[in-house]
Amino acid sequence: MAPALARWLAPEPGASAGERAFAVEGATVREVLDALFARVPVLRGYVLDERGALRHHVVCFVNGVAVRDKAALSEPVPAGGEIYVFQALSGG
Amino acid sequence: MADRLLVSTRKGLFTVARGAGGWRVARVSFLAENVTLAHADPRDGGWFAALNLGHFGVKLKFSPDAGATWEDRAAPAYPEGATFAVADGKPPAVATLKLIWALESGGADQPGRLWCGTLPGGLFRSDDGGKSWALVRGLWDRPERAGWFGGGADQPGIHSLCRDPRCSRTLRLAVSTGGVWTTEDDGATWQLDGKGIFADYMPPDRKFEQNVQDVHMMVQCRESPDHIWVQHHNGVFRSADAGRTFDVVPNVAPSVFGFAVAVHPRDPRTAWFVPATKDERRVPVDGKVVVSRTRDGGATFDVLRNGLPQEHAYDLVYRHALAVDDSGDRLAFGSTTGGLWVSEDQGDSWKAIEARLPPVHAVTFV
Repeated sequence: MAPALARWLAPEPGASAGERAFAVEGATVREVLDALFARVPVLRGYVLDERGALRHHVVCFVNGVAVRDKAALSEPVPAGGEIYVFQALSGG
Repeated sequence: MADRLLVSTRKGLFTVARGAGGWRVARVSFLAENVTLAHADPRDGGWFAALNLGHFGVKLKFSPDAGATWEDRAAPAYPEGATFAVADGKPPAVATLKLIWALESGGADQPGRLWCGTLPGGLFRSDDGGKSWALVRGLWDRPERAGWFGGGADQPGIHSLCRDPRCSRTLRLAVSTGGVWTTEDDGATWQLDGKGIFADYMPPDRKFEQNVQDVHMMVQCRESPDHIWVQHHNGVFRSADAGRTFDVVPNVAPSVFGFAVAVHPRDPRTAWFVPATKDERRVPVDGKVVVSRTRDGGATFDVLRNGLPQEHAYDLVYRHALAVDDSGDRLAFGSTTGGLWVSEDQGDSWKAIEARLPPVHAVTFV
């Protein structure tokens, strides 16, 4: 989770500002994000709009590849895979 | 009299306070974030701030302690299936929250009640201080809404909310672009008001159609709430019957075009405007920033310029960026180029705040 997003979360005690990482289960991008939002509910409104789509200026990378269907979020996430959530450059 | 201002800007929320040395920036909240609007709840003194984060959407924050700390509140959310249609040829689109454009508290007899006007045209109601919101279906489901369209924005939006101080169940609002609407039953049913307002951007036979009027800003006199002033795309209008009918006010000098309007809280004949040249030339007339004031219900206007920049000034003042305090003596306005001016004598003289602020979206006294 990029610092620009992580700074809207309550910091972990003793942690410095910067990236935040969470280990959650899920076989698709949607499942992984839902599991993340179950842990950190406030994140949902930052990453998704009220339709459940990835926000226009938010981008997710699954093992380095940008998610292409930002509404469905159905792309598979392999076991041990990493999802990076960034602010898209387009919104800057 | 109010001694503090909340100034919402493109790069943060600034608290400006009056001290021995004049008005100074006393606190900056959300520095570098886009703060589109702030609202102080007169019932408990709490502050709300609406943020529009470029990447992460619209957020609503609440401070119980004058900006020392902030808590999350819910942003209104459009329900599944909500769409908005516009009447100017663009196709209907899925409605998601684009902007919090108006916030108003309920009456003292309505604890927790808040109203929120948004782009793309939804009015939302909260009864728990902004922890949750419901779309006001009584207005959203009106068939006339399909005839609304964008004004300055691509989508229609509700920017003015006037709760009637005599009856908390009565709310009047204005839409850009969708006219003037009134509810007298907490939002369950609505009446399209605003007869007499006209639009020169429509074909002649639709000029007076109430549902297409691009009201830029609407304010009501606190102690005479039947008296309402409107700054519209094509001029200034005044109502003496709670918004049902309006008369044009043609004498605003130096121009009838602008966005902001403020009315004296006790004297409905006194109102202030910050004119720009015209709709296709949105800069001050002759590069001089002036405030236009009437004290006689719009028959005549004073052009006030004492303390305001009079040479190569290209400040535009947005609709929420002119404010009058509870006394009616203090005024403040902020501009798109970061100017902020305060008057303590009803506009006769102005002092610039010593700061180079980001573009100002909204100003309110607290």
